[in-house]
Amino acid sequence: MDCRDARAALPDAHRRRLDAAHGAELSAHLAGCPDCAHADAVERALTDALTHRLPTRPASAALRERLARTAATPPPRVWRRALVPLATAALALAVTVPAVVYERGVAARATRTAGMVSEAVADHLRVVQAQRPLEVESGGVHQVRPWFEGRLDFSPVVPFAGDATVPLRGGALAYFVDRKAAAFVYALRLHTVTLFVFRPDGLPWPTRDLQRVGGHDVYPASSRGFTVLLWQANGLGYALVSDADPREVLEIAARFSPAA
Amino acid sequence: MERLDFGGVTNAEGETRRCYGAGMADGSSREVVGREALAYIDALYRLARYLTRRDADAEDLVQETYARALAAAGRFTPGTNLKAWLFRILRNRFVSEYRRRRATPLVDAADLVETAAAHDEEWLRDDVELDRLRKVVGAEIEAALLTLTEDARTVILLDIEELSEADMAAVLDCPVGTVKSRLARARAALRRKLRDYAR
Repeated sequence: MDCRDARAALPDAHRRRLDAAHGAELSAHLAGCPDCAHADAVERALTDALTHRLPTRPASAALRERLARTAATPPPRVWRRALVPLATAALALAVTVPAVVYERGVAARATRTAGMVSEAVADHLRVVQAQRPLEVESGGVHQVRPWFEGRLDFSPVVPFAGDATVPLRGGALAYFVDRKAAAFVYALRLHTVTLFVFRPDGLPWPTRDLQRVGGHDVYPASSRGFTVLLWQANGLGYALVSDADPREVLEIAARFSPAA
Repeated sequence: MERLDFGGVTNAEGETRRCYGAGMADGSSREVVGREALAYIDALYRLARYLTRRDADAEDLVQETYARALAAAGRFTPGTNLKAWLFRILRNRFVSEYRRRRATPLVDAADLVETAAAHDEEWLRDDVELDRLRKVVGAEIEAALLTLTEDARTVILLDIEELSEADMAAVLDCPVGTVKSRLARARAALRRKLRDYAR
């Protein structure tokens, strides 16, 4: 396989459409050709950006309702010809379509929420693995918060300033899914705990499986060994991520959202 | 003239096609297509939104697509890709109506012409730019996507939806080979745009 064939095969490889023999041939070529390996990495990065970071823009509930009503309205010509069967079908649709729409809506939302969880872990790893120091070292939340002024189009509200057990190390500008976020970085012994604060609009916030933590309904999840907690408060979205024990992460979350 | 049939796509098993109705939607085909199509509303809306750029126009386009799919349900062939069939209706509707009403946006067809191969090679070898591409955020991707031509945007969005090249060819009404080259050029154009954003 030469470079030209390898480049042509990349899209099929990324879509898992290459058969085993061609896949092995391509892998062998990429292992020995830095330029094609780089092209492969670029194409994967572009696909990843499009698949995971391009805003999803789901259809509105109003549009869904309109379409469900359209489906439930039989065409007039057929209506005259077969009044009874279609009335029955329309009735059945009226009963089943909302259920189908609801169930599929729930399933689709769950998938998108899983994307949020995965994104939170990726963003946390970027903070942890960043070679450069935090953009603002902490002398307390009252030094860190003002640092974000002018750097974000919202003011990140953080009710927990850190303490001796979970000290605030500092903050950094970050991105959460498709938007800028404030990252507050805490330490729990040798673990890093990152709190992302961001605008919550347009994200697929979970509505099921919420757990009351402190004063807020928190969505607990785990991904790749990390615990991720999502919640909304103060008109903002919060994502808390750490590889510490899940119970400890929940305890920390309670400090961010004290019961009223 | 808008075409609603989905010729050119065969089902995976190569079975003889069986239609829900003989050229006209009967009750059951309408019901089945109506119910199944609801699962693809988000995907349809996304394509419509990126084509029309306006929420209201996108909603109208999806609603028209859905109504036309119901009306033509008898012409849908079970075993073929309903999602692709819906995309084709949507795109045809957009081309016949919305595109006519709007000024053709964007950069001309520069993104569909291979003009920057040398720069691409340079980009492909640039680790810093690759790192930036990995960190580019949604708003930047969206902005870059919207600078491409409608055809380039469409083929990229269909690819994200994981349509096969054969299904994309049916949606775009062109040969599979054209889909391959069009997609490659569109992605190269998008990379160039994102490189500009990353600077």
